[in-house]
Amino acid sequence: MGYDLARLRQISDQVAVVGVGDTDYAKDYESARLARQAGQDETGALDSYGLAALAFRRALQDSGLKKEDIDGIAVGGPVVHQRVCEILGINPVWGLEGAQADVLLPQAVQAIASGACTTVALIYGNAQRSMGTRYGGGHVGPDQPTSYYYYHPWGWSSQGAHYAMMFKAHQLMYGSTEEQLGTVSRTIRKHAMLNDNAVMKTPISEDDYNNARYIARPLKIYDYCLVNDGGVAIILTTKERAAACAKPPVLVSGFGRATAEVGATQLRDRMFDLYHAVLKASGDECFAMAGMTTKDVTHFQTYDAFSVHLPINLEGFGFCKPGEGLEYIQNGRIEIGGELPCNTSGGMLSESYMQSWNHQVEAVRQLRHEAGRRQVEGAETSMFCHHGSGGAFSIMYRRGV
Amino acid sequence: MTERRPNRTLGPDHDTFWSYCNLGEFRLQKCNTCAKVQWPPTPMCNECLSDQFTWTPMSGRATINTYCTFERPYYKECPPPWEAVLVELEEGPLFMSNPKGFSVEGRPRGTPVKLAFLDCEDDAGPFKLPVFELA
Repeated sequence: MGYDLARLRQISDQVAVVGVGDTDYAKDYESARLARQAGQDETGALDSYGLAALAFRRALQDSGLKKEDIDGIAVGGPVVHQRVCEILGINPVWGLEGAQADVLLPQAVQAIASGACTTVALIYGNAQRSMGTRYGGGHVGPDQPTSYYYYHPWGWSSQGAHYAMMFKAHQLMYGSTEEQLGTVSRTIRKHAMLNDNAVMKTPISEDDYNNARYIARPLKIYDYCLVNDGGVAIILTTKERAAACAKPPVLVSGFGRATAEVGATQLRDRMFDLYHAVLKASGDECFAMAGMTTKDVTHFQTYDAFSVHLPINLEGFGFCKPGEGLEYIQNGRIEIGGELPCNTSGGMLSESYMQSWNHQVEAVRQLRHEAGRRQVEGAETSMFCHHGSGGAFSIMYRRGV
Repeated sequence: MTERRPNRTLGPDHDTFWSYCNLGEFRLQKCNTCAKVQWPPTPMCNECLSDQFTWTPMSGRATINTYCTFERPYYKECPPPWEAVLVELEEGPLFMSNPKGFSVEGRPRGTPVKLAFLDCEDDAGPFKLPVFELA
């Protein structure tokens, strides 16, 4: 039971990302803030579909492909596949909807590698701030994972509470401190300051972090990601077709997926094991498919809805030992110019809460060497990983030229 | 005194759990075939796929696994600071709950606790809520 490595190896480096597009996160956030301050409706703002469509047009332009070249579409965020296709005027022969980029992208690679379609656009649009989306509280219901709503009578909900309890478990198991955790948010903010399109660009000092208010103790406001509007699109095609595209191709070298769905409501693997076993399994698959090890990773990104993701993922994927993630990240190691630059665009903590989509764009820009002031020198490979409700997902990219 | 709480999840199997609570009994489903104890209530044993369970009394003995304190309000019924604790029942399951008569802050993993019931009420009416106090 499990994956077939020989077959996975056959599709390693066969599909490339050839186009990326994103929306004006910083400008949109600021204009919405000013409108709210003035007591006005935010006129001219885009809804989730408008954001998705704009990101798609930019990704298409980035790729040099024509709309007619797109024959597969997968959508994420609160948008419906049919309406996105209708708005863009595309009748794809392959499609999916409703998941995060790290889940959809490997499926798009498989579809292209199998011949089911040739060129896929992954498209995400989410006007979550304008819509007043709230992550936690009594309105959360059974359309969400069970742990998100089942504990209402005990006053327990929100994704943040999952990570507050997880960090507390890390503290109880390993003696890690809040001060050590602060390095995550402070470093990622530093990276965002090198990205004009990042929503949050004010530096966070040690004092700022240590004196910040708690949301779900032991997590502080800086440990939580943003909630902002935006859209992202990513275009993939065969390695052969990629050669004729506008920009250098970025190859998908590997991916891995391991789950701990059983016991997810009780938070078993999350609290007993800090997801280390599933992270390792996901990483093992991804590294084996790509023919790489942790030593080959020149740029690393993690889903960062909460700061806690980063040390846990570094531990689980084998960059350091369990319990040592917070020591590992100190002294500039994860900064641009450090040994393992992490979340260089500002991630979801400071750039934009695009639920893993903005990280894929950043990986591509880094590997094309077009990341400007935040460019990681010699970026040849980029790994992304994510652990969420019940699973661990990873992707490895390689510069294709 | 009855505490107002956010709504429970009700329905088949869930109703049975809360009915026993209302009798002051803390019972979970134990599989008749393989003896695995389930939580939350389920239509099928996730070990052996049997659908035959016995609602079995738990000892009420548990230990603290982890915890958090909400410092901003998520529910109008639960004003901050609001403490939640995840306990490991002697029978195996992890059970989300609240501390009764003590604060979780500074408590080590493994701290022994024991079951208590709190008189509560939600939109569906009065009910008894399982919580944990220091053992």
